[in-house]
Amino acid sequence: MNRPLERHRNIVDFALSSLLRRKGKNISLLLVYTLIVFIIASIIFFVQALKREAGLVLKEAPDMVVQRLVAGRHDPIPVAFAEKIAAIRGVSSVTPRLWGYYYDAAIGANYTIMATDNNPPEPESIIIGSGVARVRRLAKGDMMTFRAYDGGINLFEVQDILPYASELMAADMVIMDRSDFRTLFNFPDGVATDLSVTVRNPRELTTIAAKIVRQFPDTRPILKSEILRTYNSIFDWRGGMLVVVLGVAVLAFIIFAWDKATGLSAEERKEIGILKSIGWETSDVLLLKFWEGAVISLSAFLFGVILAYGHVFFFSASLFEQALKGWAVLYPRFKLTPAADPYQLAVLFFLTVIPYTVTTIIPSWRAATIDPDAAMRS
Amino acid sequence: MIELLNVTKSYNAGKANQFTAVEDVSLDIKQGKVTVLQGPSGSGKTTLLTLIGCMARPTSGRIILHNIGPASFGEAGESGMVEITSLPERFLTGIRRTTFGFIFQHFNLVRGITVLENVMLPAYPTGERHGDVRIRALNLLEMFNTSRHANSRVDLLSGGEIQRVAIARALINNPSVIIADEPTAHLDTKLSSEFMAMVGTFKDQGKTILIASHDPIVYDSAVADMVIEMRDGRVTRSGKAL
Amino acid sequence: MTRFFPMRKSTKFFFFITICTLLQAALIQDIGRSQANSRAITAANAELVHRLMLTDLCLFTEARYTRNPSLTDIHSAFQDHPLAMDHFPSGSLVAPPDFSNEAP
Repeated sequence: MNRPLERHRNIVDFALSSLLRRKGKNISLLLVYTLIVFIIASIIFFVQALKREAGLVLKEAPDMVVQRLVAGRHDPIPVAFAEKIAAIRGVSSVTPRLWGYYYDAAIGANYTIMATDNNPPEPESIIIGSGVARVRRLAKGDMMTFRAYDGGINLFEVQDILPYASELMAADMVIMDRSDFRTLFNFPDGVATDLSVTVRNPRELTTIAAKIVRQFPDTRPILKSEILRTYNSIFDWRGGMLVVVLGVAVLAFIIFAWDKATGLSAEERKEIGILKSIGWETSDVLLLKFWEGAVISLSAFLFGVILAYGHVFFFSASLFEQALKGWAVLYPRFKLTPAADPYQLAVLFFLTVIPYTVTTIIPSWRAATIDPDAAMRS
Repeated sequence: MIELLNVTKSYNAGKANQFTAVEDVSLDIKQGKVTVLQGPSGSGKTTLLTLIGCMARPTSGRIILHNIGPASFGEAGESGMVEITSLPERFLTGIRRTTFGFIFQHFNLVRGITVLENVMLPAYPTGERHGDVRIRALNLLEMFNTSRHANSRVDLLSGGEIQRVAIARALINNPSVIIADEPTAHLDTKLSSEFMAMVGTFKDQGKTILIASHDPIVYDSAVADMVIEMRDGRVTRSGKAL
Repeated sequence: MTRFFPMRKSTKFFFFITICTLLQAALIQDIGRSQANSRAITAANAELVHRLMLTDLCLFTEARYTRNPSLTDIHSAFQDHPLAMDHFPSGSLVAPPDFSNEAP
């Protein structure tokens, strides 16, 4: 006969009976609590998965991208810089990048147009991202029109569509060969959008960047570490919308805890007196109050996290889509690979369970310690 | 037996509305007998019961239990004596739970839960096997003809039924002393007589019974062994019942 | 006296907690498994990034500087007017890049 365990089970029994007395109130409390945990846990899962994906994939980003600034604004960079930069010790290759944005007025979407030498499409053909195909309802072999900078119309044939799994990086891409790019945008020869630099030893990146800036003071090198850092701090808690969400959640937790902390009703006090008069010790009463709080907060946490996992990884965080989409017409459809940050989940656990449980116990403390006779009289 | 020595209980001591409920009471409650505290309301009967039942501490005086209750108290000396007025709260609760079964004037059942759970409630903290307690509770309800209400909410019962549930609850831990405060206040004559008959049964089982009442059915009953009259917090007369 | 009685509430509760905890453990397992399964796709995407020399995820196609946050300079958001506020909703989700390490 395991006395301590049985005692706990008995007290949990009564705690549950006690909660079930006010079924409506406690169930709505549980639901709202679960909802908050759900939202925060969804954010935790989503951000973690996205960061992980970004980290893995952008490892293959260029070691360094060199931009040119004119009057503080981004301007095409002379291809001649490329040879000089390639001559710097430690640099293994410099490739000019030709890319830009195209605004499709017909549907209000922005595309990223990229020219490439690496397996380029046929002349006057394009390879499009699956997001573009979706939004313009294009299939292989269809024609797509682009307005050229001289006002003319350029027709391109869709040679291929990038796989669905690449939406996260290339949903809005339109890939063409270099001469088509220059024609479409009237992009002058001799300049490129920016330069992609590969170095032999990644540890020398900063030194090489410094050399480049010394040689070409109007350039701005961007290192791969900076690219990765951008995505590591994406959806930072300091970002506006997340501050609001977090603030609302904290406020809700405070409200729940406040409801408990502002003392017991006369009925609750009397009931504690009754329990003490039939032989419950102070510790028994406090254990009861603990379980009343823990049942709700623990259930809310478990429910919320499980639902959040399903939401983010089985339903692609569909509830966040509206917020993330913003004013964009083209939004990538992607299925994230599950990832979790155990530290943040642990913090969420403590935030969910501990304050609420504590504020259930504390007001009962006084009632639990005074004489039962006094408690029942009051 | 339960020995009271110069027990006094005052409320709001030192303030303008100081009120002494029990004044300098010394008496012995004999083991295995039925003792009735008789007196009008305000005479201090209820307060005295709560003091004996370990639910409040006297302002001054001593209360000593002789050979009553489970022997497994750390404080009990070889003579089996426990002075409850000097015990810390922790031990008092243990005694309250195992030695005394209290039947309140207003029953004080926990609302919103079932009759069965109410009866089992005093046994919850003891860690006794749930199944055993449950069976004992059902047996008690059977004994008092209320087992058909076992799963009903307490709020739905009549006064007499609630009282029988309260009695069953008082007995769940098999206490050696039963304390009842105005048990017949909400009962008609027939039920009151039945109650006294039950008291007789408890006495036959060797329990000590202490009842506070101003109902003649109680203090004139053949079952009562000793009647103690109280007025204004003092004992005015005590003697064998007629 | 009947020997059969319904399950205690505490038993039901502990069942529920246990099931939820097991479910969470299963989901954590799922994380590992899914990550292993998606390695091929991630590798293909990395190859695409390498081939096209990409620098950003395609998350916010609202405007140029939201599409390539790692390449934006300080002025992009304000290039319409020096006092122009950040006027795309994604600006409230993504903080501006950290320029603290830039060469002066």
